Amino acid sequence: MSTTLKRVHGYLAEFDNPQDLYHAAEKVSEAGYQRWDVHSPFPIHGMDTAMKNPRSKLPWLVFFGGMAGTATAFTLQTLTQTTFWGDIGLGFIERLAETYPTVVQAKPTDFFTIPAFFPVMFELTILFAAFTTLFGLLGLIGLPRLNHPLFASKQFPKFSDDGFFVCIEARDAKFTQEGTKSFLQEIGGKNIELVEDEI
Amino acid sequence: MSHHAITFNDLPEGGEKFDTAKGSKLIGAFLVTGLIGLVGSLWKYSTDSDSFAYSWLFAVFLAFTVVVGACFWMLLHSASNSAWGVAIRRIWENMSSVVLVVFLLALPLLTVKKLQAPLWEWMGLERQAIENVEAHGGDVKQALHHMAEANPHVHVLLSKFGYLNLRGWSIRFVIYFAVLWFIGRTLRRKSVAQDQDGDIKHTIKARAFSCIMLFPFALTATFASVDWLMSLDFSWFSTMWGVYIFAGCAWVSMAITILTVTWLRSLGYLNHIVTDEHYHLMGKLLFAFTVFWAYIAFSQYFLIWYANITEETRFFLTRNTESWRSLSIFILFGHFVIPFILLLSQPRKKQTAKMVWICLWIIAMHIVDIYWNVIPERGPSVTHGETWIIPGAWVGDVFALLAVVGIVGYVFLRGLGKSSLYPWRDPRLLESINVVN
Repeated sequence: MSTTLKRVHGYLAEFDNPQDLYHAAEKVSEAGYQRWDVHSPFPIHGMDTAMKNPRSKLPWLVFFGGMAGTATAFTLQTLTQTTFWGDIGLGFIERLAETYPTVVQAKPTDFFTIPAFFPVMFELTILFAAFTTLFGLLGLIGLPRLNHPLFASKQFPKFSDDGFFVCIEARDAKFTQEGTKSFLQEIGGKNIELVEDEI
Repeated sequence: MSHHAITFNDLPEGGEKFDTAKGSKLIGAFLVTGLIGLVGSLWKYSTDSDSFAYSWLFAVFLAFTVVVGACFWMLLHSASNSAWGVAIRRIWENMSSVVLVVFLLALPLLTVKKLQAPLWEWMGLERQAIENVEAHGGDVKQALHHMAEANPHVHVLLSKFGYLNLRGWSIRFVIYFAVLWFIGRTLRRKSVAQDQDGDIKHTIKARAFSCIMLFPFALTATFASVDWLMSLDFSWFSTMWGVYIFAGCAWVSMAITILTVTWLRSLGYLNHIVTDEHYHLMGKLLFAFTVFWAYIAFSQYFLIWYANITEETRFFLTRNTESWRSLSIFILFGHFVIPFILLLSQPRKKQTAKMVWICLWIIAMHIVDIYWNVIPERGPSVTHGETWIIPGAWVGDVFALLAVVGIVGYVFLRGLGKSSLYPWRDPRLLESINVVN
């Protein structure tokens, strides 16, 4: 039984209600911990501020994802339907792709036929931005994953029912086996448990 | 969270009453501006009424858009049963109540033929037909029909005559103001009555009223812009027109709301009532309407550009000629790109000092937008196609703008002092004050 190797994930402490959890989060962030998280059955307003979470980097990813969509649509359409690339001295791209301008309804074949391309530029901006949002979010939060060390805890499943938890991870620079435990006791944590995960 | 929350103990009994003496600098500035503008307007009217008619329409319509926007935000807020905006709702109620002044300022357009003649060519044609009505058995349409034989251009008017006729236009003119006045007065009365008795029934009745009135409101906003601006050239039409004008209305009135709230806070009011979160919410709506306006404006341009039908393209051809072209491109960047980029950032929406500048820019761009919609018709109409831009006519535009903005602004700010600056007994006031988004 006890031959399996185990790794300490961190301390898990339970709190009675959202208020206690909120104040606990304020104290943990004030104490200077970096690698920690709270778990509750529902989102709690203002928890981000209490945890002093930095702003997500996702908006920047989405912005550049959207811009990539605009650029893709612009390039694709101007390359396949206009003389734009030749007009700005990059005619070799047109020859490389073997494209030629499309003449339709006496509309110009240079850059100024661009209103016709806006709908596609708009849609691809949204599409690329939406994809970046979804996959960027999954990437940043580290999903999908097969398992999580906290699942080793017997009491943790309550987090999706009526349990409010703080978990301070062992990889935090300030983590000590005794210090962190007594700190969690001080701020009112109950059922404090050292979560160990099988390697 | 809970321990920062504002409760009724933090708020003064009776709400906050605005002392107009405290804001006398700005209020006085508006009054002086309005009077200078009025004198200048009378001067321009007496010297060059043809050109000035366009100036006056531009300025009055600008004020009208603000009232439309204020009514929209009130209706939307009540109809959607929102709580967040209770703290700033009274600002919209005050803004919509300037409708009577706007009506008085607009009255010359309804009554003075000298102003109507250069603006709406079709009115001249119809009056001409009315003069010849005897020869056609008293039927104006028959008389118009007869005129169309000599001037095929009139055929277009003939086909629109069922809607576009003097009597209908004049009746609708009054109805538009009546609808807006009715919306503003009813909602304001309920809100002020609630200040007295604190009864929730006012909130519930306002919701039912708003749900019903959204429909006549939409018709008013649409057809007012059709009657006053689109019919400047009776052969032109665009089905996007009403919603295009509406997008600007909602946009500018939200910017004015943010400015007013900021001004009141700088005078020491509303400091417990309006928070960063409200600025964030208002900024988000401002951002939404920046995008919405661009979407509609582009759609209108795109459809007309693509279809390339002679009657439709004239509007954009005029605005793509001479210096109007530069203004068109300026609007593309100033009305959409710049506000879009500035309003993207979340923290910036909460920085009141920066939002003030953004809102001033937005108001300026809305003025440019309305100018761009009205004034390009002036050159070709007044000089019968000889020039695009009448030299010196812009002086009248400036005077008309000063007159209307000054007078309406003065009445609006004075009106703020009539009741509490926020509905202090609204059942959802605390929910609004402590809003988190």
